[in-house]
Amino acid sequence: MDLFLQQLINGLSLGGIYALIALGYTMVYGIIELINFAHGDVYTLGTFFSLAILTLLGVTGIVTGPMLIVVVAVTILGAMLLCGLTGVIVERLAYRRLRNAPKLAPLITAIGMSFILENIMQYWRGPSPVPFPQVIPNPSFALGAISIQTKQIMVILLAVVLMFALQAFVYNTRMGKAMRATAQDKDAAQLMGIDINTTIALTFLIGSALAGAAGFVSGVYYGSTWFFNGFAAGLKAFTAAVLGGIGNLAGAMLGGFLIGLIEALTTQFIGDQWSNVMVFSILVLVLIFRPSGLLGESLPNKV
Amino acid sequence: MRPTLVSRTAVIVLAALLAACNSSSSTSSSSSSSGATSGTVKIGVDLPVSGADASIGIPTQNGAVLAVEEANKNGFAGGKFKLEASLLDDAVQGKHDPNAGAQNVKTFIADDAVLAMVGPFNSNVAKAEIPLTNDAGLAQISPSNTNDGLTIGDDAKKLRTAHPDTNAYFRVCTRDQKQGQTLAQVAVQRFSWKKAFIIDDNETYGKGLADVFDAQYRQLGGTVQGHEHITANQVDFKALLTKIKSLNPDVVFFGGNTSTGGGLIRRQMADVGMAKTPYLGGDGISDDEFETQAGTMANGAYMTTAAPDAAKLPTAKTFVDAYKARFKGDVGPYSANAYTAAKIEIAAIEKAITDNGGKMPTRADVLKNIAATANFDSPIGKQGFDANGDTTNGILTLYKVQGGKKVVVDTIVVKI
Repeated sequence: MDLFLQQLINGLSLGGIYALIALGYTMVYGIIELINFAHGDVYTLGTFFSLAILTLLGVTGIVTGPMLIVVVAVTILGAMLLCGLTGVIVERLAYRRLRNAPKLAPLITAIGMSFILENIMQYWRGPSPVPFPQVIPNPSFALGAISIQTKQIMVILLAVVLMFALQAFVYNTRMGKAMRATAQDKDAAQLMGIDINTTIALTFLIGSALAGAAGFVSGVYYGSTWFFNGFAAGLKAFTAAVLGGIGNLAGAMLGGFLIGLIEALTTQFIGDQWSNVMVFSILVLVLIFRPSGLLGESLPNKV
Repeated sequence: MRPTLVSRTAVIVLAALLAACNSSSSTSSSSSSSGATSGTVKIGVDLPVSGADASIGIPTQNGAVLAVEEANKNGFAGGKFKLEASLLDDAVQGKHDPNAGAQNVKTFIADDAVLAMVGPFNSNVAKAEIPLTNDAGLAQISPSNTNDGLTIGDDAKKLRTAHPDTNAYFRVCTRDQKQGQTLAQVAVQRFSWKKAFIIDDNETYGKGLADVFDAQYRQLGGTVQGHEHITANQVDFKALLTKIKSLNPDVVFFGGNTSTGGGLIRRQMADVGMAKTPYLGGDGISDDEFETQAGTMANGAYMTTAAPDAAKLPTAKTFVDAYKARFKGDVGPYSANAYTAAKIEIAAIEKAITDNGGKMPTRADVLKNIAATANFDSPIGKQGFDANGDTTNGILTLYKVQGGKKVVVDTIVVKI
C-alpha cells in the first residue's frame, strides 16, 4: 500500500509535466484544429532557455534563501516568455498562411517545424544530454511511510495552478471570450469584430508559454535534458490531450495526470517495458467507447 | 476529433518516424581495380562519432587512424600503395543506428579500394552489417562488439546466410558470455553482493549482457530480485527505481549503454534514496559521457571493459605515447583495440599484396589472411582468431568511478 501511494506521487509528478504540455496541444487544436507537432520541441526549447537563463544568472547549483524565489521566478517567466514568442513566430511563419489550406498541409508543416526546432537545439547545445543545475533544495517530506520530494510538490503544484489560471483566463476575460468565439466559428467571430489573427497568435503564446514552464520544471526534476526529449514527451502529451478530449482544457489536465499514473503503476505492478503498451491500450479502449475522449463533448463544435 | 483525422495523423506520425530512422551518407569513390601495381588502398572505419556516443567513438576512431598513419610512414607495401582510412559515422540524432551502419557498409562495399573495415562499435549495428560484409566477402574487425549472438550459435548462422561457410566478421574483444560471467563473479565473489536487480535497455548488446549476467549470477548463488527492460528514449526512471528500492538490493545491474539510459538511471537513483546502492555495468557505460550524465552519482559505479587498460599495459606503452603525441589527449577504453584491429588488417593487406606479386589483391585474399591471424603482437597482447572470428586473447578490466573519474580496480584474464 505504501508503495502504491509512493508510485501515485511519482505518477502525478510525471503526469504534471505531461499535463502542462498537453494544455498547449489542446488549446491549439481547439482553436484551429491543428495538431501542432512542434509543440513537444517547444517544451524542450523551454529547458534549453531555462538553462541559458540560469547560466546568465550564474546559477550552477542549489540556491537558498530569498534568492531562490528570485532565481526561480526569473527563470520560469523568462522561459515562458521566450517559448511563447517562439510559438507566435512558428504560427506566423508556418501556419498562418496555411490556415485555409486542406487540413493535411499544416499538419505536415508542423512535423517540419518539429524537425527544424530539434536541429536548431542540436546545433545549439550538441547532440548529447546536457546536465541541468539542481537549483531547488530538495528535502523529502515523510508522510507516513511515503516520502515526497520538494521537486515533486513543485511540479504538481505548478501544473494545477497554471491550469486554473488558464481556465480563469479563458472563461472570465474578454480575450478569453474572443478565443472561445474564434474556436466556435472563425468567420462569425470575425464579423463580430474579433481580430482572429491576434486571437490565434495569443493562443500560441499562452500554449507555448505553458510548455516553457513545463520545460523548466522537467529540467529541475530530471537534472538533465537533450534536444530530442520533446519527441517522446510530445507524443505522450498529445495522447493525454486526446485521452482527456482534445480541445478541452480540464481534459488535457486529466489526461496528463492519468497517463503519468498509468505509467508509474504499470512499472510497479507489471513491468517497465509494458508502460507504453498500457498507455496506448487504454487510449484505444477509451476512444472505442468515448470517441471524443473522457471529457470531450460529442458536439461537432468544440470549445 | 474525427476518426479520419486520427488515422491520417497516425500514418503521418509513422512516416515521420521512418524518416527519422533513415539517413544516408555518400562518399566519392576513387577505385583502384584489382591487378594494379600502385594506387590507393582503403580501410573503412565505421563508428559512432557524434552525439552521446562520441566520447567513446572518437578515441576509438583515432586508434584506427593512428595505425593507418603509421603504416604510411613506415612505407606501406614497399611504398607503392598509399593507405587511406575512410571514416564514416553511424550515429543518427546522436545515437548509434543500425540503418546508418548498414548504409555505411554499403558505401564501403561499393568502393573497390576498400579491402577491409574496422567497426562497428555497437552490437545491434553489427547485426545489420554482418549479412552485408558476409555477402560481399569484405573482412570486418570490430574493436568492441561483445554480443555472443554475433559469432556463436543459431543467431550467428542467421547473419551468414549469403555464405554460410565463410566468416568475414572478427573481433578483438572478449564476448559477453565471458564479460557477463566476470561481472557475476565480481558481484558475488569479490563484493559479496547477494541480491541484485537487473535492468537492461532491450537492445542486442544490453539485453544479451544482462541475460548472461542474470544466469551466471544465479548459478553463483546470487538472488535476482527482478529483471526489467526499459524503452527507447525513456527519461523517467523514478517509478522503476521506487519499485527497486522497496526490494532493497545489494546492487543494481545495468545492461546497456550510457546513451540508452545508463547514465540517467544512475543519476535518478539519488532522487529515490538509493544514493548508497552500488551500480554495476559492462563496457557500455565505460565512456566518459557516463560521468557527465550521472553527475556526482557516477561515484560508486563499477564497470568492466572487454579490453585491457592500455594506459597501464607495458606492451601498450609505445602505442599510448604515439597516441598522446598525435591526438593530444588520453587514450579511450577501445583505442588500443581499434588500433590492433587496423594493424591486423594492414598486415593482412600487405601480405596479400606481396603474395599477389606486388599487385592489388582481392578482398578474398585479405579475408583469408585475416582469418589465419595467430600470435599477432599487439598493444593488447598476442592476438588471434578462432573459427568463429572470436579473439583468442581474453582480457577484461574492472573499473570503479571515484572522485568523478574511472580508476582501475583489477585486470582479469579469462579462459577462452
